Order: sequence, then structure tokens, then C-alpha cells
Amino acid sequence: MVHQQQLRFSTDGRGTYNISQQISDVIQKSAIQSGICQIFIQHTSASLILCENADPTVRSDLDAFMKRLVPDGDSLFKHKDEGPDDMPAHVRTVLTESSLSIPVCEGKANLGIWQGIYLWEHRTGSFKRNLSITIIGE
Amino acid sequence: MLYQNTLQLAEHSQGAYEITDLISTIITESKIHTGTCHLFIHNSSSAILISDTADDSTKDMTADFMAQLAPSSTDANENINNAMNAVPPTMKHARSQSELTIPITNGRPGIGVWQGIFLWEYKSSPVERKLTVTIMGEAKHKSFRLTR
Repeated sequence: MVHQQQLRFSTDGRGTYNISQQISDVIQKSAIQSGICQIFIQHTSASLILCENADPTVRSDLDAFMKRLVPDGDSLFKHKDEGPDDMPAHVRTVLTESSLSIPVCEGKANLGIWQGIYLWEHRTGSFKRNLSITIIGE
Repeated sequence: MLYQNTLQLAEHSQGAYEITDLISTIITESKIHTGTCHLFIHNSSSAILISDTADDSTKDMTADFMAQLAPSSTDANENINNAMNAVPPTMKHARSQSELTIPITNGRPGIGVWQGIFLWEYKSSPVERKLTVTIMGEAKHKSFRLTR
């Protein structure tokens, strides 16, 4: 059995957005009890991560680390049509994930207690981000 | 429904090579309309990545960044060079991806308008690569007419 659905999120600046609830809702809607939920982000300047969900400073620290690893406006980068955060956003995306697969058990996303699914916006502006969710199972 | 195909990719030297059309062809062959397509590369010094297709400099810049993160040796001694050349590709590989799953929507890769699927070869000397494509999902339910 296959269930596929598109989700659209609005982001408001660089940072992580918890989308675990929306993904759970799609799994519930699919009525699939056991299988795989595949999440795909259709952009190259925003990505997906599984991250700890208890302390929000973990995610702000991750962003701070990325900022140090891939500095905005780095002279290495020539692709800056859309500003100093343009090319770093593409590199950040490659360093994280465009696709996540999580297990579906007993009709629920079988994540760890302290795990959350996050959309990571790497651009500093506001964007609409499209995700494709495919659940395969029985 | 499941379809699997293992293919040999032609020799490529260091760089990013778009394989979106190749993957689209395999998806068409599979006749799967809705599902997922899993790509797996059988080695540890190249990767499968999604990258921007709008501006060629995007993937070049990403490659430059990766080169800075795990630089290759420029030593002239061939033996040392071979050994040194082997380490950075593995490090780059560890931080990129050996496998990628994309959705299949309407019998096509369900990726974004500006996204492309790329083979990233990290070795400087040309190497042949093996790729396994596994497609799972449902074929389109064909509408049919009742004939007497």
C-alpha cells in the first residue's frame, strides 16, 4: 500500500522548524500500520534533520556551528546572486539531508522519545517549502 | 510492486555529474506510478547528492567547499599521492551520502524544479561506479472498457 501527500511550510528566516506533528498526521491519514515513511524536501537551500527535541538551544547551537563552518559571504563563493546567504544555504543543504526515512510501527512514526523531525531553513528570508511524503507499508 | 536494477556508470574523474535523466528512464522502465526510488552507490569515495541545477557554479562552489574541508594531497610522489588521495575522498563521502531516496510522483522523480540528482566523484583518477536502483510502489490503475 502506498500513500503519497505533499505538504507546504512557510519559513520565516534561518533556523529549524519542528514538523513532527504534521508528519504524524500524514501517517495517521495513510492508515498504514507498519512500513516506512519517506520525507523529501524539494529544495536545495533548505533541508531535513532528525534532532533532539527537548532543549531548543541544541538547535540554535547547531545553527551557530553551521554558521562558523560555512560563513555567509565567504570569499570562496562566487554564486551570490541572492545575497551572502545564497551559496552557504546550498552547502548547508548538502551537509545535511534532503531525504529522511523513518519507520512506521503500529500506525505511528517510531521515533525516539527525544527525537524530532525538523525542516532546516538555511536562507535568512521567508520562503515556502514543499515536502513530498510517501508512506509504503501495510 | 518492486523493481531493481544495478548499473555500471561510465568512468568519471573528480566532479559532479548529473544523472537525473538516467534515473527518470529507469523509473519509466519500472512502470511504477507512485512510490519511492532508492539509489545506492557501491563504494566509499563518491556520493549521490541532490544539488541545484539553476546555476552551474552552485555545484562547483560546493565542490570547492568540500575540497577545502578535506583537501587532496598535491605531493608529486605518486605512491604517497595515491595513499593521500584515498583518504580525503573517504572523508568527503562520510559527510555526503552513499544513498538517497526520492519520491516518485506520476511516474516521474518527484523532485523540485531546481533540483537535480548528481554523482559526485571524489577520486581524481577516473573510476567506474556501480549503482543499484530500487523502486517500490504502485503502478497506475489502468482504466479499461468493458467489451462485449
